[in-house]
Amino acid sequence: MRKVFDDYRALADNVLRPDEPRVDKFVEAMGKSLKKENWTFWLPYVLSLDYCMKCGTCAEVCPVYQASGRREIYHPVKRSEMLRSIYRRYFTLGGKLWPGLVGAKDLTEDGINALAESFYRCTVCRRCAYVCPVAIDNGLVVREGRKILDAIGIAPDELKDSGTQIQLKAGNATNMGTAAFLDIIEFMEEEIADTWGRQVKIPVDKKGAEFLLMHNAGDYLAFPETVMGAAVVLQAAGVDWTLNSPATGINDVVNYGVFFSDGELEKVLRAQLKTALDLGIKTFVVGECGHAFEALKYLMQRLIPAGERPFEVKSILELEAQWIREGRIKVDPGKNREIVTYHDSCKLGRLGGLYEEPRTILQAACQDFRELVPNREMSLCCGGGSGFAIMAKGDFLKFRMETYGQLKAQQLTDAGAQVVALACSNCKGQFREIINYYKLPLRFAGVSELLANALV
Amino acid sequence: MDGLIYFVGVVLPYVTLLVFSGGFIYQIVRLARAPLHLHWELFPYPETLGGQVSELATEVATLRSLYLHHRKLWGRSLLMHWGIYLQVLWLLLVLGGWEKVSWPGFAGGLACLFGALGIAVWRYTDPEMRTISSPADYLNLFLVALIPLVGLITGFYGQADLLRSYLWGIASFHPIPPANGPLALNILLIQCFLLYLPFGRMAHFAAKYFTYHKVKWGEVSRHA
Repeated sequence: MRKVFDDYRALADNVLRPDEPRVDKFVEAMGKSLKKENWTFWLPYVLSLDYCMKCGTCAEVCPVYQASGRREIYHPVKRSEMLRSIYRRYFTLGGKLWPGLVGAKDLTEDGINALAESFYRCTVCRRCAYVCPVAIDNGLVVREGRKILDAIGIAPDELKDSGTQIQLKAGNATNMGTAAFLDIIEFMEEEIADTWGRQVKIPVDKKGAEFLLMHNAGDYLAFPETVMGAAVVLQAAGVDWTLNSPATGINDVVNYGVFFSDGELEKVLRAQLKTALDLGIKTFVVGECGHAFEALKYLMQRLIPAGERPFEVKSILELEAQWIREGRIKVDPGKNREIVTYHDSCKLGRLGGLYEEPRTILQAACQDFRELVPNREMSLCCGGGSGFAIMAKGDFLKFRMETYGQLKAQQLTDAGAQVVALACSNCKGQFREIINYYKLPLRFAGVSELLANALV
Repeated sequence: MDGLIYFVGVVLPYVTLLVFSGGFIYQIVRLARAPLHLHWELFPYPETLGGQVSELATEVATLRSLYLHHRKLWGRSLLMHWGIYLQVLWLLLVLGGWEKVSWPGFAGGLACLFGALGIAVWRYTDPEMRTISSPADYLNLFLVALIPLVGLITGFYGQADLLRSYLWGIASFHPIPPANGPLALNILLIQCFLLYLPFGRMAHFAAKYFTYHKVKWGEVSRHA
């Protein structure tokens, strides 16, 4: 693959098609994106195109810019300007009359190549938008740019062809069939008995349950401790709950449409909604998955009318924290004696508002809980966000480790933690690699796993 | 020359008024009529009106975001912004009949001039800032600096009484040309600024209502 932006390539040649003419199509798709038919983010999009003062405050908090040693190509304003210069050149009077003065540029094929790769270097963590004096959102500009790219056929296959498309067909993006799923459940029940000495019967496909717990399907394969931990907690709470198999529709809470396409976002949401309706459940519980919480809790609200979704959406963290406060489950922090810290996932924190819940759980369940610095709304993105955790073609894993990962590794080392608690699958995927890459003397664990471990 | 002063002082103000208010109304209506977007707020945010007003007031008065995250820019930006606030205050005082109070004009002009030039110099000399700047960014700053520069040189801030009778003439639709050439020049510069303001990034103070209230702060409590 030839170099088009930096030393990495997130998009393979067959996706990017770097030598094909795409300029006209791009400009046409961008024109559409500026119309109100693109209502989902029209207002923040237009504001972010028109009113950036280029003060550079975003760069001071951007993880990839900082970690790269302030490389110009990773400057968040530079990145957004790649799209804005096209906007000005083709869609504003000033840009048509005085392109040089206002920073408008003709779009070239190389320009598209660089823009496409650049827009897959930002994880849309929105730390910059949080600190911007004018609340301009580079993350949103990136997401809108990715939507335009998708409209002309450029989307990472991990997210689309092998992501949303497989999920809609098979029920989960891991392409796991019902028989395999049921085998895993059986294995987990045995494993729970071995690990925690508890007899847990995991309910599957139960109709009319109070809680439908839907995990990131990748967790069954990559992070089974999270799934098992949640099962132990739910049984201990004595609530009426169920998991679901692909036989019932969608059994994967992920929604990669969040990262690059409103169309895919809505399709996946509607499929998840139909599954929940068919099962007749009362509360849709999002497992430990950040972007899925964003999609189901917030993005769904104005995309699908309230009347069509007669159930509540909650994160498993909200329930666990509530049950601890109510005394519904009892914990002994002495059972988690290691030094535990917590990484705020961008999607659960800045975008989801769940700051207290994980802390309520961890402070109750762990003997020595310590904060990472910075944390909460200023938490540093781990680098797994916006699909990166499952993107590792070419040297892309190295990019994730040498930029975002490097900052996170330093932060973990400074905290002196032995365990980093995580509540998001993408974070887990990224931390697994960070710990290996930097040979850090610690492990990661799901919040539910630590809680299950502390149950008395 | 008299013809020019007449045009600048008598005809142009009404054109400016129309373009300025028309431009702002157009921009605000454009943004206010935006379709309701998907939830995209960032947590935490103030959930009460009092909290929101206080956060916005703090930001406007102290530029707290810059203080916390971009200290290098904070001082000069604060100087420029307070310079603008004071000059606007002075104009309001003049209009209201307090033409003896000239210090907000002088002080505002000085602060604005040095603040804007300070930002421009930093934008040009800091390699990182230079690479994200376009000529329009410098132009905006020079326009902001030009008004106080010319105003201070020509003694504009000391001519409150002349300015007041001129402004009241405009407001009462009995316009009289500015009393002297320098006054006309200052009035021309202010008009150029006002003609341009609604159509560029400098209208960010109005856009901020939307970026904060409609986007960053959401419109519902997360507990709703």
